[in-house]
Amino acid sequence: MSDEPRNATATAATDADAEVTGGFADRWASFRDREISTVLLTVVGVAVFPFLFNNFLDGYTQLATLMLIYGIFAVGFDILLGYTGLLSFGHAVFFGGAAYAAGIFSASVSSSPLLVLFAGTAFAVLMAWIVGFLSLRRGGIYFAILTLTFGQMSFYLAASPLAFLTNGENGFTSVDIGHLLGVIDIHGGVPFPLTMLVDNMLYVFVAVVTVLSVAMANRILHSPYGTVFRAIRENERRAEFVGLDVWRYKLMAFIISAAFAGIAGSLFTIEGNYVPLQSLYWTESGRIVIMTVLGGVGSLFGPLFGAGLYLYIENIVSGFETLGPFWHLILGIVFVVAVILFPNGIWGGVEYGQDRTMAAIRFTRENGIKAALRYALDLTVQKVKAVIQKIRSVPARLFGGEGK
Amino acid sequence: MQWGDSDVTLLADILTILLNGLQQGAIYVLLAVGLSIILGTLKFVNFAHGALYLVGAYLGLFITAQVPLNDGQLVEWGIQSYGIGLGFIAALVIVPIVVFIIGLLMERFIAQAFYDRPDTDQILVTFGLAIIVQELLRAMLGGNSQPFPQPSWASGPIALPVVGNFPRWRLGVIAITAVLVLGVYALVEYTDFGLIVQAGTLDGEMVRLLGIKLSRPYLVVFGIGAALAGVAGVVGGPLANVNPNIGTEQLVPAFLTVVIGGVGKIEGAVVAGLMLGTLQVFLIQTGYAAWSQVGIYALAALVLLVRPQGLLGSEVDVS
Repeated sequence: MSDEPRNATATAATDADAEVTGGFADRWASFRDREISTVLLTVVGVAVFPFLFNNFLDGYTQLATLMLIYGIFAVGFDILLGYTGLLSFGHAVFFGGAAYAAGIFSASVSSSPLLVLFAGTAFAVLMAWIVGFLSLRRGGIYFAILTLTFGQMSFYLAASPLAFLTNGENGFTSVDIGHLLGVIDIHGGVPFPLTMLVDNMLYVFVAVVTVLSVAMANRILHSPYGTVFRAIRENERRAEFVGLDVWRYKLMAFIISAAFAGIAGSLFTIEGNYVPLQSLYWTESGRIVIMTVLGGVGSLFGPLFGAGLYLYIENIVSGFETLGPFWHLILGIVFVVAVILFPNGIWGGVEYGQDRTMAAIRFTRENGIKAALRYALDLTVQKVKAVIQKIRSVPARLFGGEGK
Repeated sequence: MQWGDSDVTLLADILTILLNGLQQGAIYVLLAVGLSIILGTLKFVNFAHGALYLVGAYLGLFITAQVPLNDGQLVEWGIQSYGIGLGFIAALVIVPIVVFIIGLLMERFIAQAFYDRPDTDQILVTFGLAIIVQELLRAMLGGNSQPFPQPSWASGPIALPVVGNFPRWRLGVIAITAVLVLGVYALVEYTDFGLIVQAGTLDGEMVRLLGIKLSRPYLVVFGIGAALAGVAGVVGGPLANVNPNIGTEQLVPAFLTVVIGGVGKIEGAVVAGLMLGTLQVFLIQTGYAAWSQVGIYALAALVLLVRPQGLLGSEVDVS
């Protein structure tokens, strides 16, 4: 896909797709790239997810709901990290801030879930405007550290000076969520045809918001506006030279990603009826970074999978007999391996596999099965040789290679 | 913490704030100097610096005392306590050496592969490493806080003129920090090694063209930075309990210290660390304890917005 400039083979494969006409590979490629199919795939995905998750992966619906909530957060975060190339270590401000805003709004203004969602998101956008305006004056690591600074500042503000609003270390407990549109009990069951797929209304509500969020992210990223984000990531100076107001686009990318964080934060409050102080701590920002990178930066669906995998390890693997106590360690190792070896994450792997399969189908059709098998064998031998070479170079690197 | 009585004079109050601020800032300074020289010379962002502090603290505890275990995998495997009980001085000598070696390995196997990759990738991989170290320690030794005993020769209060009684160990922290930071400063400013490192920071390509190999000095710089973080763990351990979270807790203020002082500037790190420490202690002691953490972050944000290159940083460093 053209979303993956870091993956040269993927771009090459797309070009090749365009040259050869007809065939399964090309029909799939043209289907895949349409907006309606993205939305349809998401709808089907969120509809069957709880059924598969609960029956085959030891899951439960509440965790599936949480996965979607963090999925929305990660999709938004990826607009900033994967598409615009800015690493924020302060997105807990928007997630936790929206969660608190939603909670306080529900307790003192209105308990309508839609209004609560709107209030939380609006607060996140407002915060992002301020924090982004201040942090984006600096690039690279300074941006990461400035966002981290504002994040920690808001954590300590909520912890004690603002404890009269936030209830300090105990977290905000007086969340009050009413019925959706005044009639539907959001924490209740679902009507008949839906019962085959899900067992509570909350999941349906979160799933609908997820589909809308993914559709929105998809629309933004495929618009000219999203193309500018990518241009900034590839070469900021060049984007500036062609006359783009880079600073304004960066600020908007920041605010858009914070809006997604705000949606997720508000849903988090609606889901749990509680806002922990921890939701503002910088480890929360770290979590979303890990989820997004694991899933695959620079892809639309990757972050959803990253969020799912993270929460799966945190909640399900942690209960395993032998692996359980090491779940966080496992997560750290998987993360580091992903950063070093698979910069495009799970989704990068899926796309790589998909492109290779398409290429293999095409190659086989053109050259026959025999040539294809011989080629595959050669390729495997090459790969193994490369790995051996890499292992043998370790002593040289250890004792006096010329570094930087 | 014990603060002054109501009858102490204003002067004594101020001096106490300054001394406590020095002590509070000392840990920040030790961490920040290491972080700063690595960032300044190697242009490498090390989010695992807090993990090195953590390793230093646990290793220091291991060498200093015999610690009973009551949680974690080691207990389940039948190990009831750990530690060799050689005393504090031994820890102060052994820990920097071990962490120095860890630093060398880290440079060769992790950092080197990331010099040519974007800052964000460096942050990501070191952040992941920090999680691995922290969670390994938590899984093995449990998440409980362990008290780190103060060395017996430095525990208890000491009577100072004007200020009155002051914890002896805090003075020790200030003294050890001063000696180490002066040592690193002298190494960088007055030796041939320091000259090469400084020249390499300014224009690495030119230095290489002159026939000087830079990979070794850079390796050593990384090691020294790591060793300082390790010492910070040993020195800071007795001030509070040791648990797996202290690394990440110290990392953020340490980074702030670096950017406030100016990247690569040892003097800057010292000034910034003392500023943050003093501000924090001042707010606590004047009755605004709730604002003490907010205060240091607000100060950091203010400095970065007004003077992005840091207090003592030069304009060239701005990226």
